[in-house]
Amino acid sequence: MDFLSFLGLGKHEGRKVRFRDTLRSIPIFSELGRRELAAVERILHKREYSAGEVIFRQDEPGLGMYIIESGRVSILTDDALNNMTELGDGEFFGELPLLDGGSRSATVVAKTPCRIFGFFQPDLFGLIERDPRLGVKIVLSLAAIIGMRLRAVNERVQTLLAEGAAAGAAAQRPRHKKAEEHSRRA
Amino acid sequence: MNQARSLVLNRWLAFSALAILILLFIFVPGVVKMVVVSVLLAYIFDPIVTAIELRGLSRTASTLVFFFFVILIAWGLFAALAPVVYNQIMALRSGAGSQQTSQVILKLQAVVRDKLGFIGLGDVNLEEKISQLTGYLSDTILDFILHEGLSLILYAVTIPFLVFFFLKDGREMKKHFIGIVPNRYFEFALDLLYKMDVQLGNYLRSQFTDAVVFGVLATTALWLLGVKYFLFIGPFAGLANLIPYVGPIAGALPAVAVALFDKGDITLGFQIILAFIILKLTDDMLVQPLLVAKGVHMHPLLVLLAIIIGGELFGMLGMLLAVPATGFVKVVLQESIVTLKKYRFTD
Repeated sequence: MDFLSFLGLGKHEGRKVRFRDTLRSIPIFSELGRRELAAVERILHKREYSAGEVIFRQDEPGLGMYIIESGRVSILTDDALNNMTELGDGEFFGELPLLDGGSRSATVVAKTPCRIFGFFQPDLFGLIERDPRLGVKIVLSLAAIIGMRLRAVNERVQTLLAEGAAAGAAAQRPRHKKAEEHSRRA
Repeated sequence: MNQARSLVLNRWLAFSALAILILLFIFVPGVVKMVVVSVLLAYIFDPIVTAIELRGLSRTASTLVFFFFVILIAWGLFAALAPVVYNQIMALRSGAGSQQTSQVILKLQAVVRDKLGFIGLGDVNLEEKISQLTGYLSDTILDFILHEGLSLILYAVTIPFLVFFFLKDGREMKKHFIGIVPNRYFEFALDLLYKMDVQLGNYLRSQFTDAVVFGVLATTALWLLGVKYFLFIGPFAGLANLIPYVGPIAGALPAVAVALFDKGDITLGFQIILAFIILKLTDDMLVQPLLVAKGVHMHPLLVLLAIIIGGELFGMLGMLLAVPATGFVKVVLQESIVTLKKYRFTD
């Protein structure tokens, strides 16, 4: 028996500790204490996917988010049937339906065999009912993430609008010049 | 490879569990009855345990606290009511027929002999028949208690035991069940289970609360009217109220019978009928609208069929459980169809 096993930190326990670290690294759970993380861990659903298996499809109703413990997944959309992005160990996806229960905006396929944990709306509701303080912490973190994304989208829209206006003005300038030249000749 | 093997193993385990359940249902209906009653009770009491959990206790500790209070209340009720119940059984056994009863019976006998003599009831002895009937009833109750004592004790021990584990580990059980669903249908199953859980919990709790309220009101009304055995008839009326349409009549009948045959008081019989009409109106217009989810609407024919099937399969308890069980099946089907439509599985 090695020292880790003697401390109850064998292969299984070690994985558990690593997973708890993974959970803490996710912004939604980063503010949670040890007891709170353990409560979250209890309501997660462990799923295993083989390479090429679809985790969820675009436009299907969504229930919540997934956290990758090990493996890689590809995120695809129907309009651009190419890889939008790839995610790996410790990363998460599909968190929006956790709040609004809306449909999935992309298809996610396991690229390699994956061990994934699901965190779903019904379990979040149950947690809020049993431990409102913890539930509020999680919902606030989620709201903060959504808020950050909204801000980023707003900034992007502003930039695009500014770029569009600049491009429009640039396109107008030669036309003005031509009109000026024409009037001078006349 | 390992994942595929564990999936196949999980499915085999699920099929085996289902097969065992069906076999149990066929060969040991008593076990099924106990499990059904325990699951229903666990559903009803789950919010109380969750409310205790809110105080920061673990699920196990909350369930223990809940059971501690249940045992305390049960003990208090037993200590307070056991002597009264014993006296009422003994009174029923001795057939405490009063003089007025005999007079009413004699009057009734005269009417029967006079009007129904032509169909061979000219020399009927009603007093003897009624005393035979009450003697038979009390003997049956005592026989039931003596002969079924062992199974009653078994029920009294097993059901709370099962309820304890369903309350404590119900969440884990659901999680394990979800765990064996294939990946493709996993979110659908979770969604369906959650919706069913909410609907079913609300429905069962509203039914239970209604039965308790009606039972308490009926017991109080019968006590105020001075009807004997009100401690049996009141709770029975509450339980019978679970059965739509016939329930309230079935609840009132024993009270009227006692009034007529024990006290020989026809006026009291009418007062009881009036009290039950008022109780039923109060229940329909005040109690039921206040309960959140009474909304599992069932066709009267469906209710009737369910009661007959429940009675055929599990006797009196089956009749009482028939309506909630049909409500359960209806909620399951309704939610399955709605959720299936939402998910639109094409492969």
